[in-house]
Amino acid sequence: MLKPKTSTNEAETAIANEVIVTAVDEENSGFANLSASLTEIRKLKGVIGYILRSNTSAIIDLNEQDKIIEYAVLSTQMHDTSKEIAKQFNLGQTESILVEGKNVKVLCMSMGENKISVFMEKSATHAWIIKRILL
Amino acid sequence: MTEAYSTALQTIIDEFKNISPEITNTFIFKKNGEIVASNETTTEDQIKKLITAFNNVADQAETIGGIETLTIQGANSQLNITSMNNRYLATVSSRAADQKIVKTLTRIFVPTVVKLVDQIAPELADNKSLQTTKPEDKLIEEIVLPVEETSHNEQTPDTSASFSSEPLLPEPPVNQFMIEKIGGLLVPVDTVRVDSEVIAKWNDLYGDKQITQVHIETLEGKKTTCKFKPIKETNHNAKGIIQIPEKILQTLQTSKGKLVIAKPVIE
Repeated sequence: MLKPKTSTNEAETAIANEVIVTAVDEENSGFANLSASLTEIRKLKGVIGYILRSNTSAIIDLNEQDKIIEYAVLSTQMHDTSKEIAKQFNLGQTESILVEGKNVKVLCMSMGENKISVFMEKSATHAWIIKRILL
Repeated sequence: MTEAYSTALQTIIDEFKNISPEITNTFIFKKNGEIVASNETTTEDQIKKLITAFNNVADQAETIGGIETLTIQGANSQLNITSMNNRYLATVSSRAADQKIVKTLTRIFVPTVVKLVDQIAPELADNKSLQTTKPEDKLIEEIVLPVEETSHNEQTPDTSASFSSEPLLPEPPVNQFMIEKIGGLLVPVDTVRVDSEVIAKWNDLYGDKQITQVHIETLEGKKTTCKFKPIKETNHNAKGIIQIPEKILQTLQTSKGKLVIAKPVIE
């Protein structure tokens, strides 16, 4: 299921057709480590998927293929918005962002250049996932 | 959104700093940019920028059923936004704040009060109400809001108004009480006992009108109407307390320590 990302168009096609899209940057060891952690987190009950992306690579693993684009846009928006709000209210460096919807909640974290978004059912324990990612 | 409604919410959020001084910013807003209430440490510019940023996320969050809560955990502080009936409560608190208190306030206490006010007096949340009324026509009433079971209950002023054409009688004030169970041979099973200060206020409000019954409703919606008397013991810490005999507790399907809303029956 792992595919190298060769062009934007191919990546977009892959996003639409595949559950997992990836291009691994070998110089970014943090990315590989996070990928391994998220693979474990993905197995947890209630976790419905995740997006991991850096400046050059991305992995998307989501149950609901038809929502991949929507979830990716939401994830990006959460990361961008949190920076603005954190600056406005002097929150300091953002450690995590959690948005709870009616049925699903989304946890976003930034680890250096790597940005993580974990999608889960509301009953899932996000605090544990934060700890696991920070390990 | 009426001025009275905003004032009520403003009063509540002004109390936040007393309950938890680590909460530095508190405000309530609507998605359309309206600021319902805010504490003095938060600037309008900050709120407007937050609303813009929040709306950007909210637009995309439709895919997960809209935003119920949003939390940004920073190294110094955290920001929490809680949805409550088309309004949003935002708080910024330091990481040192007791998270139980913050969560209780932001996710339970204020949303519950807003929900109650909306249920009890929906006209207060309506834009068209009160606007044609002179300020002197407004009648101040009171909601008793227990903060902790062991402490004195804090009274939070709320405002309401009545526009019945004739005769001009104010709407029955709604009070929230914590239940104490009462029993004994000499205790009538059909009569509750209410904080005498509250009864005095009812009497002041309605002057010569004799009030003999009280309408009680639980937070779950069970209702009953019964006779009432003032709580007897002069030294008793009766503020915010209603003493209810077993039979009425059964009718209401509630128990000691729970909250009920009560208002006098005006005939």
